Amino acid sequence: MKCVICGREAVEKGYCELHAKAYESIDKKYDKWKKALRISWKEYLSEIVKNPLTGEWAKEVAEHLIKSGEKQSVTQR
Amino acid sequence: MEKYTLIITEKPDAAQRIASALNEKGKVQKKEDNGVPYYVAKRDKEIVVVPALGHLYTVAEERKGRNYYPVFNFRWVPRYAAERGAKQIRTWIETISKLAKDADMFVDACDYDIEGSVIGYCILKYACGDKETISKRMKYSTLTKEELEQSYAELHPHLDFALIEAGGTRHEVDWLYGVNLSRALTISARNWSGRYATLSTGRVQGPTLKFLVSREKSIRSFVPTPYWEIKAEVEINGSVFEAEYEKQKIEIKTEADTILNACKRKNGQVEKIDVKRFNQNPPVPFDLGTLQSEAYGLFGYTPRRTSYIAQRLYLDALISYPRTSSQKLPPEINYKAILKKLSRFPKYRKLAKELLRKPELKPREGKKKDPAHPAIYPTGKLPERDLDDSEKKVLDLVVRRFMAVFSEPATKQTMKVCINVNEHHFYLRGRQTLKEGWLRFYRPYLRSEETLLPPIEEGQTIEVKKVISENKFTKPPPRYNPGSLLKKMEDTEIGTKATRANIMQTLYDRKYVREERMIVTNLGFEVLEVLEKYCPPVVSIRLTSELEERMDKIQAKREKRENVLVDTVEILKPVVQELKEKEKIIGKQLSDAIKRARLEERIIGTCPVCGTGKLMILYSRKTGKRFIGCTNYFKGKCETSFPLPQKGSVTPLGKNCRGCGWPTVQVRMKGRRPWMLCFNPDCPLKKERRKRIEMRNMR
Repeated sequence: MKCVICGREAVEKGYCELHAKAYESIDKKYDKWKKALRISWKEYLSEIVKNPLTGEWAKEVAEHLIKSGEKQSVTQR
Repeated sequence: MEKYTLIITEKPDAAQRIASALNEKGKVQKKEDNGVPYYVAKRDKEIVVVPALGHLYTVAEERKGRNYYPVFNFRWVPRYAAERGAKQIRTWIETISKLAKDADMFVDACDYDIEGSVIGYCILKYACGDKETISKRMKYSTLTKEELEQSYAELHPHLDFALIEAGGTRHEVDWLYGVNLSRALTISARNWSGRYATLSTGRVQGPTLKFLVSREKSIRSFVPTPYWEIKAEVEINGSVFEAEYEKQKIEIKTEADTILNACKRKNGQVEKIDVKRFNQNPPVPFDLGTLQSEAYGLFGYTPRRTSYIAQRLYLDALISYPRTSSQKLPPEINYKAILKKLSRFPKYRKLAKELLRKPELKPREGKKKDPAHPAIYPTGKLPERDLDDSEKKVLDLVVRRFMAVFSEPATKQTMKVCINVNEHHFYLRGRQTLKEGWLRFYRPYLRSEETLLPPIEEGQTIEVKKVISENKFTKPPPRYNPGSLLKKMEDTEIGTKATRANIMQTLYDRKYVREERMIVTNLGFEVLEVLEKYCPPVVSIRLTSELEERMDKIQAKREKRENVLVDTVEILKPVVQELKEKEKIIGKQLSDAIKRARLEERIIGTCPVCGTGKLMILYSRKTGKRFIGCTNYFKGKCETSFPLPQKGSVTPLGKNCRGCGWPTVQVRMKGRRPWMLCFNPDCPLKKERRKRIEMRNMR
């Protein structure tokens, strides 16, 4: 299977090793954003896409999540 | 013919200085043989000083050819036999061999460190015909007449064979790693794609790339989190100051809003004033690493550039030997004599005289030692030629640092004023120098600022002009720059002071990284991924520093060269075997990465017209001419294109035009200085320039 973003070999949830790391970071940081601003997963994703400090891979994953409308990982919540 | 003493130096400049210093009768004669310079000095007997050109010998495979691996059998050969473009070395060796025939005494005067010792040993053994056992050794740290004369009078009776063995082993181990791994990568990629591209890795290069990749991964996956900072603007005696809230980061917006509301339109009261006095010791003398870091921080010079400048200053006898790890200044260098000489320079006169008035001169020293050389210090000699700006700056830095280490500690005072605003605490901080001490000597290079606070008393009412809440975000870790990467390599003890800067340069040359803030390229990621996947030991930081430690032990005669070499081959054999078995998969991965990297090199920036495509250097299928086009053209979305000069080379500059913000390219043509080209036909800068030319023509 290939990474849905860059076409490299996928290792987890359809992402390659590098984008999987970025996804993990997005998923982990949502709690902090939710606590800080009381925002939804969708709002959070658009906020981090806009933020210039967000890393390139994290931005790509967030954009992909917005497009695909994927909800936050249920297993971890 | 009367026999002479043959002295061998590492570089031509050093040969000339040594000949001039040792000459007692008449003038030093400069001679040449096949373009190789050497110097004849007269003392009690004739002395011939001949320079090398750095390493004249190198490690090479026993069997010829570059297209195979693994390679575990090697020998030392003249560099011209192993490297392309080293033809000059042949005449150099022939001249030295010729001069060695009429010599009855041999002196190795190459730099007294691991590399210099290997250079001298190889020349004495191979070019002079096994003279390494009878050769004597000159040891010096500066190229001043006094020290060179003293060094010649007190020659070491033999070479430092332990140092030579340690240096030789280092070359052999590095060669084994470099040749096997680099060939495995290059051959895999070439066999797959049919195109040649040099890929390399090495014992230190691999782990260094690993530091960069690990940092790059953290930056690219980084997700910032919001926080709020609260500050109060307070007015004291007519001046406005900024006080920080007791909690530096507030992670919940509602909490920040509550504090803000509670403090709005309220005055504060000084609850407590903490005053602390402390001494700030002078800095320690420079070793090469700290000089490189300081020069990077102050002047933006890369470690390699600083090393090169310092080497030039050393060859001009203006500073001591720079490739040192020592932070010690032994009394033998004669502090007083150096300061007296420095007092001849008008800009150092006052400071040097002040130090000379001290009853005792005692430097503050660092922990690092080097058995061969002291820390870097100025000789106090006046420059014999006009120094360029960068040389002047580095020399001034070394002089000021040298004087500062003999000075007194500085006394500083910090003041922390706690202001209570409606039961919320804000802190006002002041910082002041009470006694300058060493700061006066190092003033141009100080980076701390003073904040003076007016007289304040406990219980005093403070007017709060406004309270602000700033929404901020956590930042990703910073990218390594040449200075911080050098420090990381030093801290993890990989590489040596002489090799670290060059290893960094190789990472740029191979296109594994780009830009000053080192950004890892896709090629860099892929190479490291291959190494981590198929041969993790070669990128292991622990293994690399362990090997460094063992090589240091050879120098201390606590380890044997043979053991280290056998273990190196034991590590490499299975690794290379694995690489060979997986050659196809690796070849494909690397070839794809090289292809992507070549494509990446042609991308100039985001298309300013459509905003989504990338502008790229493209070639017309019809005419073969190059131009700039948008990648969205292939999707039928954007037809933006611009012409480019057809001669010379065009490379993306990575910077946007200051006039219009469009991405730019650099054009290089033979015989002309490279220039920046903004291809926006409507760029305001271009219009201005055109107007200026028109005006000039009209006049």
